[in-house]
Amino acid sequence: MRRMLGQIVENRMLFLLLLLLILFIVFSLGVPGFFTFYNLTNMTQYGVELGLLALAEMLVILSGGGGIDLSVGSMLTLVAMVIGVLIGRVGFNPSLSILLGLLAGVGMGYVNGVLVSYLRILPLIVTLASLYIYKSLALIVAVDPRFGPNPMPVSNFPETFYFVGQFRVGGIPFQVLFIFIPVILILWFLLEKHAFGRYLYGVGSNETAALFSGIDVRRVRLTVYTLAGLLAALSGWIITSRIASARPDIGLGYEMQAITIAVLGGVNIKGGEGTIGGVIMGVAIITLLYNGMQLAGIHQIWQLGSLGLVLVGSVFLNQALLARRKF
Amino acid sequence: MTRRTLFRKREFTVFGLIVVLAVVFSLTTERFLSMSNLTNLLLQLAGTAICAIGMTMIIITGGIDVSVGSMLGMSSVVAGKLLMGNAPVLLVVLAAMGVGLLMGLTNGSLIAYGKVPPIIVTLGMLNIIRSLLFQLLGGRWISGVPPAIRVIGLGKWLGIPISMWIAVLLILFFSYFLNSRPLGRAIYALGNNPEAARVSGVNLARTTLFVYALTGVLVGFAGLIYVARTGIVQTNTGTGFELEVIAAVVLGGTSILGGKGTVIGSLLGAFLVGIIKNGMILLNVPALSEGLVIGALILISVVIDVIRARGERL
Repeated sequence: MRRMLGQIVENRMLFLLLLLLILFIVFSLGVPGFFTFYNLTNMTQYGVELGLLALAEMLVILSGGGGIDLSVGSMLTLVAMVIGVLIGRVGFNPSLSILLGLLAGVGMGYVNGVLVSYLRILPLIVTLASLYIYKSLALIVAVDPRFGPNPMPVSNFPETFYFVGQFRVGGIPFQVLFIFIPVILILWFLLEKHAFGRYLYGVGSNETAALFSGIDVRRVRLTVYTLAGLLAALSGWIITSRIASARPDIGLGYEMQAITIAVLGGVNIKGGEGTIGGVIMGVAIITLLYNGMQLAGIHQIWQLGSLGLVLVGSVFLNQALLARRKF
Repeated sequence: MTRRTLFRKREFTVFGLIVVLAVVFSLTTERFLSMSNLTNLLLQLAGTAICAIGMTMIIITGGIDVSVGSMLGMSSVVAGKLLMGNAPVLLVVLAAMGVGLLMGLTNGSLIAYGKVPPIIVTLGMLNIIRSLLFQLLGGRWISGVPPAIRVIGLGKWLGIPISMWIAVLLILFFSYFLNSRPLGRAIYALGNNPEAARVSGVNLARTTLFVYALTGVLVGFAGLIYVARTGIVQTNTGTGFELEVIAAVVLGGTSILGGKGTVIGSLLGAFLVGIIKNGMILLNVPALSEGLVIGALILISVVIDVIRARGERL
């Protein structure tokens, strides 16, 4: 029995699968309205937004050197506001606005990446500073001078804009089929089949060794921070479309959720270790947890509180395992 | 100290910046030099400066604490609730600091004994504490605390707020502590080279626990000052406060890589942040750009450090 328990804890995927199953059964039995096709597919909509951010966080943490991105929530917000203001206030072409929004995300990620990899500033400081800078910019962008000095949400979008966030194909949300799954496949290819993946794991697990084997460590890091910006931007676009509104506080606290999911999914906070499969399981667990809590009528603030517990608890567990493996 | 090293010191640069900004603001705005504005500035600064003492030590050990904002909120709630129940002032002071200590010990034990990275622990705690605080307040706010306590927040001695006097005394004490006491030196040793520190007999886990616990107590006290000054506690009290404290410490020359920094520098950093915020309000710069300015300042000061470090190596 103890050996079996040990095995379950040692095998991350098995552990996550079990956790997911338990949550699923508990909520199905205990929470009315949980086990319905509508609710289950509806849940995946929310999962996409968190999932893209968690994948962004995974890439950055994998790259090591204290890799972390605290600014994903702010990047998401600024992208949402850029898209919202361009379409809703300026009256720009929607497709072009979305493209510009995504480019803004890439740009923000690129700036983070340059500061981290070329100026060699700790990721924690870079992204803490950029968290506040991007958030502040989003607030400034959100000000509509016609209605006074306060930041205002934008919600007058054309009907076509809602496509990505609200439409379904065969009952499955559009963004799951046409954004999330392709992104997962591309990242899986990059990490598992392409040389980039080997570089990334190499840089994350031993920077010096990677450097001596001729890997351009700085380029690899710059790439992952830039990709993180792009993923956060995709998430921002999808949320804006789903809730039909670009709000200047939309991404608040998302960074913690994204980091938690990545870490819960088995990404080692020190870098170099972690898989896409694990992170996807993490996304599923947290999405399920949120949805169940919400249907059970627990106040929203406890979603963040319970996530904090999961974050600290799962890293604690990781470290305890690591300590045991050493003996 | 030779003249050259004095000019190269970070404290000197920050002090110079403060003087320049003070001159600029007093020339461009009428109210900057007024007694009421300066008092206000010091009142707002005191809490930041007190928390910055603890944060300086944490960052010197190579750690970070992003939960101080939530901790400040929590101790304000506890203090506020007790005050509304007409508890004796001494009990309130002890309770606020006690709650802070408890939270700091939780952070510290997880980091020192659980080997969980500081950013993970404190990021999680930021949200856990905020949820608990919300539960305690039940979505309402506390306002109109009894006047007995407000002397800590608003009282003055020789024209300077009492809270600022306390902050200065604490900073002097902890400056001495860091420079001359064995535990203070152990904090630097831990940040510079943990392995060497361990071999020379420093108890790494206990030193780590100490800095987080101490920060908790100091933040608890700052929470009390906050209630005493404003008389109000809300569910979002203290949100974003962590950035202000970290900004003060980093601007004051404490290296985020650990091993280097002074509490005097952090006090100057706190002054710099405070003056900038104050000046922006007086100049009618929208509050929205506050994050932009402080974030950019942090980056600039760190970039300067990086460039300087390169120069030193040559």
